Amino acid sequence: MGTLILRRLAAMIPVLVLVTFGVFSFIHLTPGDPIDAMMGESFDAAAKERIRVELGLDQPIHVQYLTWIGRVVRGDFGRSIRDNEPVIENVSRRIGVSLQLAAYAMAISLAVAFPVGILSATHRNSPIDGFGTMFALFGICMPNFLIALLLIYVFGVKLAWLPISGYSPPDDGLVAWVRSLTLPAITLGLALAAVVTRTLRSSLLETLSEDYVRTARAKGLAEYLVIRRHALKNGLIPVVTILGLQLGTLIGGAVITEFIFALPGVGRLVVSAIFSRDYPMVQGVILLIAIGFVLSNLLVDIVYGWLDPRIRYG
Amino acid sequence: MLATDSRPPRRHLSRRGFLQAFAVLSGGLALSAACGQQPGAPAKPAESKPAEAAKPAAPAATTAPAAAAAPASKPAESKPAEAAKPAASGEAPKKGGTLRVGLTTEAVTMDPHLSGSKIDRMIYHNVYEPLVVLDTRLQIKPGLADSWTQPDPKTIVFKLRQGVKFHDGTEFDAESVKFNFDRMQNPETKSVRTGEIANVQNAEVVDKYTVKLNLKKPDAALLATLTDRAGMIISPEAVKKFGADLQRNPVGTGPFQFVEWIKDDHLTVKRFDGYVGAKDGGPYLDQVRYRPIPDDTVKLQSLIGGEIDFMDYVQPRDVAGVKGNSNLVEIDVASLAAFGYQLNTTRPPFDNKALRLAVAHGIDNEAITKGVWLGVGTAANGPISPASWAYDSSIPPIKRDVAKAKQFLAEAGKPDGFTFTLSTGQTPIASQEAEAIKAMLAEVGITVEIQLVDGARGQADGNARNFDMTSYAWSGRPDPDGNTFQFFKTQPGSGLNWAGYSNPKVDEILDKTREVSDQAERKKLYSELVKILQADSPWIFVVHPVEPKAFSPKVQNYDPVPDGMMRFKDVWLK
Repeated sequence: MGTLILRRLAAMIPVLVLVTFGVFSFIHLTPGDPIDAMMGESFDAAAKERIRVELGLDQPIHVQYLTWIGRVVRGDFGRSIRDNEPVIENVSRRIGVSLQLAAYAMAISLAVAFPVGILSATHRNSPIDGFGTMFALFGICMPNFLIALLLIYVFGVKLAWLPISGYSPPDDGLVAWVRSLTLPAITLGLALAAVVTRTLRSSLLETLSEDYVRTARAKGLAEYLVIRRHALKNGLIPVVTILGLQLGTLIGGAVITEFIFALPGVGRLVVSAIFSRDYPMVQGVILLIAIGFVLSNLLVDIVYGWLDPRIRYG
Repeated sequence: MLATDSRPPRRHLSRRGFLQAFAVLSGGLALSAACGQQPGAPAKPAESKPAEAAKPAAPAATTAPAAAAAPASKPAESKPAEAAKPAASGEAPKKGGTLRVGLTTEAVTMDPHLSGSKIDRMIYHNVYEPLVVLDTRLQIKPGLADSWTQPDPKTIVFKLRQGVKFHDGTEFDAESVKFNFDRMQNPETKSVRTGEIANVQNAEVVDKYTVKLNLKKPDAALLATLTDRAGMIISPEAVKKFGADLQRNPVGTGPFQFVEWIKDDHLTVKRFDGYVGAKDGGPYLDQVRYRPIPDDTVKLQSLIGGEIDFMDYVQPRDVAGVKGNSNLVEIDVASLAAFGYQLNTTRPPFDNKALRLAVAHGIDNEAITKGVWLGVGTAANGPISPASWAYDSSIPPIKRDVAKAKQFLAEAGKPDGFTFTLSTGQTPIASQEAEAIKAMLAEVGITVEIQLVDGARGQADGNARNFDMTSYAWSGRPDPDGNTFQFFKTQPGSGLNWAGYSNPKVDEILDKTREVSDQAERKKLYSELVKILQADSPWIFVVHPVEPKAFSPKVQNYDPVPDGMMRFKDVWLK
């Protein structure tokens, strides 16, 4: 297992180099530049040029890239062009919000998907299965923003059970914190639950028809034990794959949800940085997201090995 | 729109509730476009391009007809709602409470010398004070300066208010004013204000409370400029202490002092007890807590649900609903804004004046104001808004006249029409407007290709004059000079004159408006300017939007100034 982790960590390096190079090229090749975006209403061309030179934006792209990479390797992600705040400070403040939201959404999706998925599989073609399928279709088809607005209208405005928007940090009270993240987490969790439900159902159906399940039943094992010990554990592999991929997406990409609920997360930061062409910010954040993505995939591989000892890679 | 019924919260969603929800969601669909295509709208900091606050998301097509009928178009005068005026009710203001304000986007920087964003100014007007201020009728009144005189056209002498302290306890005096002007002019500062104070030679300390501005040439617009960021005085001590981090640690002399700023979450200010500029015991509020809520529907819902008390801008599609909601106060704050399109006069097709006029006469801006803006604004006759003293109501907007437009086409030798690209922002209202223009010009025989660009791209293309026709949303300035000079004066570089427009007669008028100080005289010059601009059409002027604001009825004594800023010095909570 140790070798596996080391090897995967080493394999991260080329991936990250590729990602940074890609991001760097795309953001620099996109028309528009941070000085124009920042000084939109100023008509002082000389001042703009001065700032451009000062920030090194007049250098060729490859020089800028190497300079940036050189600093990043030494742990210096630079400062935002917009407001001079260190990139790392801004991101570290937000990553917590995004991680909390991702974990909460993941928990909700699992809490929903497991019972629904298992019941659908064990009661195949029954009304329960039909309901499960319908739920999954609903979750997959409903776009995020629609679910979000519906939740806000029902639970925020009409029933006034939960806050409509905004984030309350855990320091200000745990209840308020959980409440502030509940609607966004349901929004994200619902769609994820739908995908997990479908995957779990089909994977369980497959394992339930395996010989060892028949053997387990034949030796008189209680049905719930058959499911839990034999079918579920083996049926989990594709689910773990999906969860791993989704975790990465949730951390970096809950953009629309963060926007609608006005949460100070990473997704919102990336988008606003892109729109103001805040190069150091975009590059820094995407690099950090990429690292998160690669790490969550590594986690998935480790869980594979735990679930199915035949998979060892090493 | 939703909470118009005052039924108590119910556990079940009735059929009617469901239908209401659906009505909301149809509004949400329009928003989906905003979210899907441009989740980052609020990131655009510059207020000059299809600014988020300015170019709002549009109504869903399905709800448009109903809504279009509702909001009356009464744009020019700001009519503060009754509820906003405590004087009428005779209640005495009381101290205390936190005012929670929803903003369209996150602020960019807290350093007024570096700010290019309208949202920043919303906050500045409570933390900083300018030398002179605007009243609700756009007249210039004493601010940090008690009085001012102009011994000659190239000198302004300010007598400063005494006993004013910065939030860090240091004293405000003539030295602090000089320090701020020096800082703006110092290239090291990289200040965005240099253009605004280009005519200032230097600031000179006469005595402790007298400061003199020496001008390079007469500038009748300068005082009005000093009512905003260029005239705001930052604590010199804070500048020395924080350096570049002043951007996140503002220290001024305003009624409220900075507490904390968590980006994309909230910015809090509290009452400055050493504030001497308020009458009768103000400022009253303990705190103001600003929250950026980028989604307009959610921001409105937050106001309806009581999570915020005040919102900076109501989308045209929501105005009718908010007006009809007895639990909310809505005011149509007149604005100085001018929205329209710049035509690139430096390259074909629009280097040909007849083709510009063909387009100008092919577009019905009255119809756009009604249909796209739902009457939340006035059709524009030029760059100066009806809120300004320089607005000439006797000049009508260019009328749509298809026959005349075709005549111009023939005159340009293109009787069968031509094709050009219209670049505009990605908000629903911007693209609706573009679609309307496309349809109108199709009837003339002109083909429009619409290109949607984000703010930064639009800026870059504009500066490089790499466009045919590009949308331009200007938030406006208190002096008409700020809506005209930089756009229509012949310039060596592009500046804001992306159109590349150059007319010696216009240059002469623009220079003269700065030299003449008599307002009636200046107004005449601006009328002349507007007529020439209509005849030359370097711009297509579309609309002067109104800036609707909404708040809870417990918010008292809010005085709307037509510059759209929110000043909370005298505001209190019932």
